[in-house]
Amino acid sequence: MKRMLVTYMTLGYPNLESFYQFIEKSVELGTDILEIGLPPKYAKYDGPVIRKSYKAVTSWLKDYITPLKEVRKKVNIPIIILTYLEDYLSNLDNFLTTLHEIGIDGVLFPDLLIDFIDEYEEYVSKIKGKGVKTVLFTGPSLPDNLIIKASRISDIFLYYGVRPTTGIIIPVSVDSLITRVRNLVQNKLVVGFGLNDFNDLRKALSAGADGVAIGTAFIEEIEKNGIQSALQLVKTIRGILDEYS
Amino acid sequence: MVNKDLIPKYWYNIIPDLPKPLPPPRDPPDAEFSRIELLKKILPREVLRQQFTIERFIKIPEEVRDRYAIIGRPTPLMRAKRLEEYLDTPAKIYFKFEGATPTGSHKINTAIPQAYFAAEEGISHVVTETGAGQWGTAVALAASMYDLSSTIFMVRVSYEQKPMRKTIMELYGGKVYASPTDLTEFGRKILKENPNHPGSLGIAMSEAIEFALNHNFRYLVGSVLDVVLLHQSVIGMEAIAQLDELGEEPDILIGCVGGGSNFGGFTYPFIGAKKGKKYIAVGAAEIPKFSTGKYEYDYPDTAGLLPLVKMITLGKDYVPPPIYAGGLRYHGVAPTLSLLIKEKIVEWREYKEEEIYEAAKIFMKTQGIVPAPESAHAIKAVIDEALKAKTEKERRVIVFNLSGHGLLDLGNYESIRRRVEK
Repeated sequence: MKRMLVTYMTLGYPNLESFYQFIEKSVELGTDILEIGLPPKYAKYDGPVIRKSYKAVTSWLKDYITPLKEVRKKVNIPIIILTYLEDYLSNLDNFLTTLHEIGIDGVLFPDLLIDFIDEYEEYVSKIKGKGVKTVLFTGPSLPDNLIIKASRISDIFLYYGVRPTTGIIIPVSVDSLITRVRNLVQNKLVVGFGLNDFNDLRKALSAGADGVAIGTAFIEEIEKNGIQSALQLVKTIRGILDEYS
Repeated sequence: MVNKDLIPKYWYNIIPDLPKPLPPPRDPPDAEFSRIELLKKILPREVLRQQFTIERFIKIPEEVRDRYAIIGRPTPLMRAKRLEEYLDTPAKIYFKFEGATPTGSHKINTAIPQAYFAAEEGISHVVTETGAGQWGTAVALAASMYDLSSTIFMVRVSYEQKPMRKTIMELYGGKVYASPTDLTEFGRKILKENPNHPGSLGIAMSEAIEFALNHNFRYLVGSVLDVVLLHQSVIGMEAIAQLDELGEEPDILIGCVGGGSNFGGFTYPFIGAKKGKKYIAVGAAEIPKFSTGKYEYDYPDTAGLLPLVKMITLGKDYVPPPIYAGGLRYHGVAPTLSLLIKEKIVEWREYKEEEIYEAAKIFMKTQGIVPAPESAHAIKAVIDEALKAKTEKERRVIVFNLSGHGLLDLGNYESIRRRVEK
């Protein structure tokens, strides 16, 4: 089975033109699913790199609708919006309706199972009711029972973040963490958070991950060496994933 | 002769078995630096790995099991027969005696693996804070076991009240300072605001971390974080095996709570294995975390150098009443324990100094051991539960963790006596 490459990018980063270019080309190079980040008020589980990318776009990015429509036109793979539920509590219906109208496939709220655990099932039905898929976000600090339940209702795949924060390479045993949950997850298991280390990436795939989600590594690469270099990284990672097909 | 076979081969982590997700540590909004990133420079690498590689069971390195044996693990599980008779209760009372280790408390259970991991990594010097001195003593001993230097920032008021603890730390080779000190930027800032500041665990913790960062040493953490409660699970794992040997099924499990490590270490293996019907966490009424604390994201240390963790807290700037001598002065409760309390799986109690003083005296009169003032909080709850069992005519099995002895806390008892028995 082909392993999935889930590519994350902050909406509009570093500027609209380069953003579209990165997205389009990364799909050509083998991205299976796009995760697009909408700058939140508080990026609770994001490390400095993604936080900085949010800051970089918020000064000029006034409207998320136009660029998302544009991305939808350009690519035909599933697009998932990543943002924090906390910011949309008062206008969730509108937000979901808009996403649905644009043709966005799904949403991923990293704080749903952590800060809204008592109502998460209601939120999941609400989101699905609006015709938007729900990708559930889990991690090692979730109990096994909940990972089992979440894996059954998560759309497209179940996201499992192996570290507390994106982009910061806290030492963890990626293989042990995946082994713990592999049999609990009745779904495609996509692993993320700090997997730009190729050793960790391979460990995740060997331990049974159906895919990986990469974000910070691309943003860092864009920052340091530009879009082309970041696209080269997409290609490299695609190559590693294909070794495990 | 200690039987090493009885020392558990695994540490137990309750997180996979919690009723709800444990909110993860996080960076504050608009942080000028990442606390989570900083952890890599603060904690020994393997300690950090164990903090975040959350699995139900983690193998205890043989080297660490050997050291556990050297300090007298497994600790005794004793029956408090005379206390039962004194209370005329139908309940059976057992206690796990963590005061039996050379340092006189459970704290050594995590100091040993942390010092071991630091030494394995090639670190030469470890730093920490201490309040009563139990943690500082444990670190000084563990460091000396692995030929590491140790520096301990001791809360000033304790430093002055407990010169004997300082002596032990120094005999083990530790260097002890009264916090706030002028050795760190944060200490100097506090002293500038109030030169007579009595100190607090939160301040001493920040100073220890800053000092470790400035010298590229590593910091050893004594409570609150999951990795510490993981290491402390040897207490509960042993207790389960020891009760099994006696054919006893526990009904009520009781422990005192400073940061929550002895309580978690003792009760979590029972909670995870669904053994026991009631778990009681006991705090001090003078440091009223359970009754007045808020369950929210807060810093474990006063300067805010560690990531925010979600816990029951009185606030990172909390300074305990200086006159109070009963221990359990930390401002927060370990995140896992906070969650279990919020979910009502663990009950809490708070007792006043004079109540725990009376409980300690009853325990000394009946069982002979001088309990640490901290542990006397648990004893008070044990006495109340035993008397309740008597009223309700129930043959309950009560097991508690006697987290430490009080032989170096006689000054505290003296101070309480002067105030209570006027």
